[in-house]
Amino acid sequence: MKGRWAWALLTPPLAVALILFVGPLLYLVYVSLHAASPSELYGNALTLRNYTALLGDSFYLTIIQRTLATATAILALCLFIGYPVAYFVARLPLRRRMIVLLMLLFPLMVSNVVRAYGWVAILGRRGVINTGLRDLGLIDVPLDLLYSTNAVVVGLMTILLPYMVISIANALSGLDPRYEEAAQALGAGPIRTFLHVTLPLSTPGVASGMLLVFLLTLSAYVTITLLGGPRSKLLVSMIYDSVVAFQWPRAAAIAFILLAIALAVTGVILAVLRPARVQGTGR
Amino acid sequence: MSAGKADVRLDKVCKTFGTVTAVNKVTLDIERGTIFSLLGPSGCGKTTTLRLIAGFEQPSAGAVYIGGQRVTAIAPYRRDFSMVFQSYALFPHLNVAENVAFGLRMRGVPRDQRSVAVSEALELVKLGALADRYPRQLSGGQQQRVALARAIAIKPAVLLLDEPLGALDKMLREEMQVELRDLQQRLRITTVFVTHDQEEALTLSDRVAVMRNGVIEQVGAPREIYDRPLNEFVAGFLGASNFLDGSVVSHDDGIALVETVAGRVHVRVAKDSAAIGTRVRLAVRPERMRMNRPDGEGLSARVRDIVYRGSVTHYYMDSAGGPLISYRQDASVEDWSVGDDVRCTWNVDGGVLVAPEPA
Repeated sequence: MKGRWAWALLTPPLAVALILFVGPLLYLVYVSLHAASPSELYGNALTLRNYTALLGDSFYLTIIQRTLATATAILALCLFIGYPVAYFVARLPLRRRMIVLLMLLFPLMVSNVVRAYGWVAILGRRGVINTGLRDLGLIDVPLDLLYSTNAVVVGLMTILLPYMVISIANALSGLDPRYEEAAQALGAGPIRTFLHVTLPLSTPGVASGMLLVFLLTLSAYVTITLLGGPRSKLLVSMIYDSVVAFQWPRAAAIAFILLAIALAVTGVILAVLRPARVQGTGR
Repeated sequence: MSAGKADVRLDKVCKTFGTVTAVNKVTLDIERGTIFSLLGPSGCGKTTTLRLIAGFEQPSAGAVYIGGQRVTAIAPYRRDFSMVFQSYALFPHLNVAENVAFGLRMRGVPRDQRSVAVSEALELVKLGALADRYPRQLSGGQQQRVALARAIAIKPAVLLLDEPLGALDKMLREEMQVELRDLQQRLRITTVFVTHDQEEALTLSDRVAVMRNGVIEQVGAPREIYDRPLNEFVAGFLGASNFLDGSVVSHDDGIALVETVAGRVHVRVAKDSAAIGTRVRLAVRPERMRMNRPDGEGLSARVRDIVYRGSVTHYYMDSAGGPLISYRQDASVEDWSVGDDVRCTWNVDGGVLVAPEPA
């Protein structure tokens, strides 16, 4: 009886997931295994060329490499800036913590397009920084700040930082203060208490923050296009470019390479941090 | 400042949180190698007192000494103690052996000595076989033992226990009480124990401090606290008591004759206390209350209810001075029934005069 109810409740969402997610994904695999066609979604011939061409082409390999490097840089910055902020936020009294977390969410309420143009206004050739430096007489020729990987890193990092902070702050504020006291009672000073107890126990938050930041970096498009320009394209940009060029099978293949990267990095993050090991409460 | 034989000493320690006084001028001397209990209802300040010894709380006034050294301004991790928490606070990312080794690692004990000490500590709590398990794979009782092993592995001068048996069921708790007592006697660690369970305090402790509202009401050996409570609160908190009001009619060499509305009774008192004519409150433990035929001496009462509890039988009685309870182990011999008139007496040492609660 109980099982039947469970199935009755599970069937609609399961059907939606199968029809709208798994099905199209499998179809996309099928598409990616065909040659392009000028008039149809894909040509007749079955082929692995979309994948072999991408992975054998130094142009695409450079872009894959750049995608990974950009995502790693953003991840590292978010982690090193976000952890101390989260540590501070988590120790605030409940009311103030809620206010600070809300403030951290405010930027997310502004469209990415608007924020990207904000960075354009700051980093552009006639932007705030270049004008300021020129007025101070420090430079004669404007610096090329915009349309670079660095601009993408800074732009995306500022968008994604709240995800990291909120994830880690939640993990830290949910931590029983007795753990840290137990460490101190056993002779661990503040630094060793942090390294041996607080940090390992916050790994569920660190892992979820890292996954959010990494996966959102891989799927970001607007920021990359507006701040990276034509010279700093990432894998998502190539999907768009292929679609625009009616190379649907190639676009599908790039999408799967992106998915493979996402899965692989997710696996690495989970394997290294092993957040599940601290899920038991220790009671 | 000489601490004498005291291993832990609190000197007029106060702790206020905002406008609330959690601990009020507490002065304690805890002798080396003994178990000392802080007993009281929740919110009485016992846990705060323990945390003041640990250094997790800073006293608002007064001083804390461990091993004769004033530690008031010393951080917890530099004080020579370890602690077992009510929630155990075992590190979930470390296995049993790593948890027990933690304190040794922090003290820079080399790896080979560490593993010897860890096995020793785990042997003491009979958990040697579970060294590779993680806390989440253990039962509550096993986790409790790991927490204890982790605390004793560093051989601390002082062991602080914050309701360590509170999360266990009754059977396991009683078993652990005996084990804890054994372990402490073998290791001779000065132990400070916080509990709200008076049986636990009486079973485990060399000395007990009964606390209420941040103040220590009485300190003494378990028997002393139980048999000679200083006031009504202590008498009532440590098990049931019969309370009767009366006045002293005569006083002869430490034995006072007290007149109550239900009859006259003798009570042993201190020689210079209980002047003739004083209003007093009597406290008598139910197990010391004897029931006799109605023609004898004592308080006249009538049996209202009889509850058979296996090893003891509880007799509920009404007297002119209020309800009375007697616990009898030899119930079949007396064989009273509901409605019987009786006279209640007790050995002259069985009753005690207590300071009544201010109304």
